[in-house]
Amino acid sequence: MFLINDLITLLAANLILTQALGTSTIFIAAASKKNLVGIASVVTIFTTSGSAAVYFINRITGEKYNDFALLFYVLAVGIIYVLMLFLFRFIGKKSFERTRKYIHISAYNCAVMGTLFTVSERFSSGTSALTDYIKMGFEAGIGFIIAAFILTAAYRTLNSAKVPASFRGFPAMLVYLGIISMAVYALK
Amino acid sequence: MHKRIKSERFIWLDITITLLALELMAYFYYGPRTLVTAGICIAVSLAAELVALRLMHKKFRADNLSCTSDALITALMLPAAIDMKIPAIACIIAVTAAKNIFGGKNNMIFSPAAVAYLIMYTSWKNDLLSYTAPHTKTGIFEAASELVNSASYTYNHTGSFKATDFELLLGNFSGPVGAVSILLLTVSALILILRRDISAGAFCGSITGTVFMAVICPIYGSSADSVKYILATNMILFASIYIISDKRIAPKGNYYAFFYGLFIALSSYVITLTTGKENVIIIMSVLFTPVSLGFKNLQKWIDNERLSEAEAKVAAEADSIAGLPLNETETDNPEVITDSSAKSGSEFEETAENE
Amino acid sequence: MNKGKDKITSGLLDDNTVLSAFMVISPVIMCGDTLQNALALIYAFSLITFFSVLFASFVPKRLPYALKIIIYAVIASLVYIPVKLLAGEIYPESIERIGIYYPLLAVNSLIVFRTESKFFLMKRGKMVGSLMFCILGFDSVMIITGFIRELIAYGTINSHIVDINTLMTGIAQPFGGFIFLGLFCGLYRKIRSSLLRDEDEAVRSAENVSDK
Repeated sequence: MFLINDLITLLAANLILTQALGTSTIFIAAASKKNLVGIASVVTIFTTSGSAAVYFINRITGEKYNDFALLFYVLAVGIIYVLMLFLFRFIGKKSFERTRKYIHISAYNCAVMGTLFTVSERFSSGTSALTDYIKMGFEAGIGFIIAAFILTAAYRTLNSAKVPASFRGFPAMLVYLGIISMAVYALK
Repeated sequence: MHKRIKSERFIWLDITITLLALELMAYFYYGPRTLVTAGICIAVSLAAELVALRLMHKKFRADNLSCTSDALITALMLPAAIDMKIPAIACIIAVTAAKNIFGGKNNMIFSPAAVAYLIMYTSWKNDLLSYTAPHTKTGIFEAASELVNSASYTYNHTGSFKATDFELLLGNFSGPVGAVSILLLTVSALILILRRDISAGAFCGSITGTVFMAVICPIYGSSADSVKYILATNMILFASIYIISDKRIAPKGNYYAFFYGLFIALSSYVITLTTGKENVIIIMSVLFTPVSLGFKNLQKWIDNERLSEAEAKVAAEADSIAGLPLNETETDNPEVITDSSAKSGSEFEETAENE
Repeated sequence: MNKGKDKITSGLLDDNTVLSAFMVISPVIMCGDTLQNALALIYAFSLITFFSVLFASFVPKRLPYALKIIIYAVIASLVYIPVKLLAGEIYPESIERIGIYYPLLAVNSLIVFRTESKFFLMKRGKMVGSLMFCILGFDSVMIITGFIRELIAYGTINSHIVDINTLMTGIAQPFGGFIFLGLFCGLYRKIRSSLLRDEDEAVRSAENVSDK
């Protein structure tokens, strides 16, 4: 029962279904199972490590440099981006070739940057611990994965020849996500 | 194909007959306004369907009439005194955005009635969840004089249920016009299951899940009371028959459909228990659409695997029957072997791609 | 010549930033619920994107891809600072309502990815023209979305009350944005395909005439 409740809470706090963050990225992710796993995993790494970086940035800069927050977050994500590229290059050339495109797609998008700003806004009081930031960043990544699965389940139906040509693919996906999002909204 | 269309029409006819019986009961309790609302829903849905078909350059056939049964389902989930413009708008959007955009009746993803309900729930929640008491007949163009909460709301929040068992069976308590006639709904469920018009697996899963949860953690009072009242309220029975068990939406196999219904019921019950929200089952049925699609994909994949296994078996048997001469030919003519293996390889790739 | 012209203006109709290239969707869905919000977003998006891409075009092409992407994002976040300060004066209420979507405009795909795949493949003059049409493409979608959603959800046009007695508040919510944008996108495709068909027919009939 608690598991169901937790799942529903996770769904209700989903960044894509409730805040439309990372919609463009999820369309790329849902296109194939390979892409889904790759992009979703990399996005989760970015949101989790990025949220940890937000904790330190907020601690160091405080409210005084609020206008510069975007610049600091962009730099932090940039560092994580480079580190990840180096890490995968270090692991092996093959894995680097495979994961490189996912890292490029996932670094600067609304899903990652939106999560960082949402995390920062949520814990603006400054009393929260690092683990809270990391937990929320991780949850956002999981939310992305759930939304990607929701879209993957319907991917073939939405791209089928039975769908009118004008709506096939992207427009149908938007309407589909909209209806699911409506159900999530009704649950709140 | 012809047989399938024919059976679709019979399904529509059976469902419509049971819905009309519920509509008649609604008329008895709430007067002619319910008939007018249902009529408007049907007319608007039909018009929206005609326009959509015209835009898709398709012809209107008898099996397109399913939009009228969806409209009737929507109308039966409403309070008697709702502003008629609201369901009309909801029906237009549901037929257009939740059905025909995805390709219409041959490529259904959502139940149009459930989506119509959600549209009203998210935009006109107060209008949707304010009911008139039974036997209060509101004029066709009049506003309701006195609105009350539904029995579901009262039960979810206080645990009290004022109606007697007899009244409960006949639907003599406040709620959506067609979703409270428990006796009639039970009979409808039996008829529709026996005539294979709805998914028996999904229906059983939904009822089993609800009963199971009501027994292990009752909302209020004893387990028996909880089972009785939860099945009668929150549109559980109505949604289980007409929305969750909709053959166009539920997974095809009864085994998968059972779990689909079960998951919806379990999660609906948990939310009802923790938040007290009424009619959550409709929301959950929409939210679990990806699960149904996932089950359908899984089923297709398993069927394909079985088919390819069977084909391989048949091919092996044919080889063994053909015996020596074929082997001789194969060894004599290596090109034939290369061609056939290449063909099966490409087929495998195609199947893998499809999967 | 005509083809060149088409390429510059493609960002507006043929290859619209939102409806065709599927970029910068989140702000349209989340914040395109009123005309006022739409205008505030248009102002920020236009300035940030234009100046960021323009400045980014001076970044040496030889740098590694990842480094270039980071530099583009940094340039955009630097451009964002004065734009936001100015927006605080012009649209104080909208800025608060738009919230986190304002800074997100600075890392939009048009700046981060399209620069490499489209704009920097052109000569600077042509790039500026193409960029302006891409921005106009986003702006037009944003205005239409903001106008229609505000009218249906709140019964107002730019905060002026219009006589509509049945309002559908749901369309102002994120799910309403998803559904509306999906429908809008389908309609856009339908119109575009019929226009293209007309153009094809016109070309064919012209060919027939010339044949004669």
